[in-house]
Amino acid sequence: MATTTQALPVLPDLPPEPRGATVHRVSGRRRAGLALRHLLLIVMSVTTVIPVLLVVSTALKTDAEVKVDPFGLFTSFSMESIVRAWTEGQFSDYLLNSVLLAVPSTVLIIVVSTMAGYTFARLPFPGRTLLFYVVVLGLLVPFFTYMIPLYFQLRSMGLLDTLPGAVLVLTSTGTSFGTFFMRAFFSDLPEELEQAARIDGCSEWRIFTSVMLPLVSSGIGSLAVFTFISTWNNFLVPLLYLPGGGYRPLTTALYAFTGGRSIDIAPLAAGTLITILPIIVLFVVLQKQVTAGFISGAVKG
Amino acid sequence: MTRRAQRRLGVLLVLPVVALTVVFFLLPLANALVYSVVDFDGVSSNPPFVGLANFREMFADDEVWHALSNNAIWIVIGTVAPIAIGLLIALLLWGVERGSVLYRLCFFLPYVLPGIAIGIVWGWIYDPVQGLLNKTLAAVGLGSLARGWLGDPRWALYAVLVTAIWGATGFAVVIFISALRNVDVELVDASRIDGAAGPARLWYVILPQIMPVFLMVLTLTLVGGFSVFDIIFIMTGGGPADATNVIGTYSYTQAFQLSRIGYGTTLALLITVLSVPFAVALNRLQRKLSLQGTGA
Repeated sequence: MATTTQALPVLPDLPPEPRGATVHRVSGRRRAGLALRHLLLIVMSVTTVIPVLLVVSTALKTDAEVKVDPFGLFTSFSMESIVRAWTEGQFSDYLLNSVLLAVPSTVLIIVVSTMAGYTFARLPFPGRTLLFYVVVLGLLVPFFTYMIPLYFQLRSMGLLDTLPGAVLVLTSTGTSFGTFFMRAFFSDLPEELEQAARIDGCSEWRIFTSVMLPLVSSGIGSLAVFTFISTWNNFLVPLLYLPGGGYRPLTTALYAFTGGRSIDIAPLAAGTLITILPIIVLFVVLQKQVTAGFISGAVKG
Repeated sequence: MTRRAQRRLGVLLVLPVVALTVVFFLLPLANALVYSVVDFDGVSSNPPFVGLANFREMFADDEVWHALSNNAIWIVIGTVAPIAIGLLIALLLWGVERGSVLYRLCFFLPYVLPGIAIGIVWGWIYDPVQGLLNKTLAAVGLGSLARGWLGDPRWALYAVLVTAIWGATGFAVVIFISALRNVDVELVDASRIDGAAGPARLWYVILPQIMPVFLMVLTLTLVGGFSVFDIIFIMTGGGPADATNVIGTYSYTQAFQLSRIGYGTTLALLITVLSVPFAVALNRLQRKLSLQGTGA
């Protein structure tokens, strides 16, 4: 699905073929064009990846090496910084906190968005359109517009600096997109299926759970991966609403590390690696799902 | 019968999202409006009503205009660059079979990384003494251009912007690749036989066919541009000397560092009021075009 099956299209940067060009010359020209393209792509993709390699390289240096040349390539391979960040730097705790924030939020976002997406796509009731727009308004309003009042609201609700509070905020910021996304998937399903099930005596609930839900499993999968990545990466919610530091996830732990004048590069690099590694692994393994999710979520709605 | 059953289930299924939206979005948003007309320091339980004083102060505040102009620079460059570079990469990737998965992995990778990690590593790259950028400049004989990128008020905003562009381009690449897959190749070939040069082909043949998707990427990038906050907050905190302040960071400083909650919230409302019409207009346009495309 993700690989292009089309014939080689025209190169946008090539001049038109001259009249009477022989087949041989054309293919030679095309081959040269393709090589040029690969060259450009290699240069650009290497440039893109350099910052990521820099993290890996710095994290794998020995302490002594970091002191001499903090940002150059590593010359010897050492797990010293990573082990130190993991044990002394408490990154194992931060990792656990990240999991405790990202996993429940992802599950909740999936459940809530799927239910709402189904309703907005297929179950008519008065005020449905208006309600949908209100939910989707969350996509347009920048988070910092209401993050300050939300801080005081959570405080008065007793949810400030608690895991449930942070999870609920993460969930609510994720459901706008989730609902929008799942609604597009449910809208695409044929009406006949629903009617046939109804004639067979299915209840509305059964139609939703047993007939429609399995048909959007690919959409749910895409949304799950995307949601997990964005909750894992979330920075502002834990920064503002978990100020005590007891439930600090990886993102805000890294931020706390960057404060102060004398920054200790080695554990910071190791911590950064610990933070991005799960995401990179997830992304590489599920890259088709991630990109397909982005595309369908973006193109469908 | 069916209708009633549908309605009952619908209300039940939509309840959680409504509860979350009301409590964690609409309520704080409404409170933002309340905060904008009071002088709230975050502590007092009964902040005094000050009417439109916060708004008056906002329009008279030079830093607001400076922050807004930074927002404008950010929106223009931060929208044009990822889309242009993303389209270029997608066009280069178009029809490339060998290594295409690897290329896409590389280009999309920055997009899945957390902002804090991106901020940290780019901070190293921009490091005045040992950073990769200055070292590279020195190595190619351009050492005179080296500077403390994030510490120089004239360059800091653009330095952060480059980081943001690096992080955002992958999104445009992936979406444009999928859009190009639906482009009619025969039409493109025909235009080439007719003698249309590369740019003309792009402008008259390829772009019109991917216009709805193009506008969609434009909308999302633009909305993201208006709401920029994280990356600037992480990399410079609005400094040096307010040089990289945007409305988001300025609002945060006022609210949380100077305990001027009312004024900070008023500032945050400003950017929302400015951004929503753009998003709505672009979304309308995109919807109209995509409906035309499907013949619906």
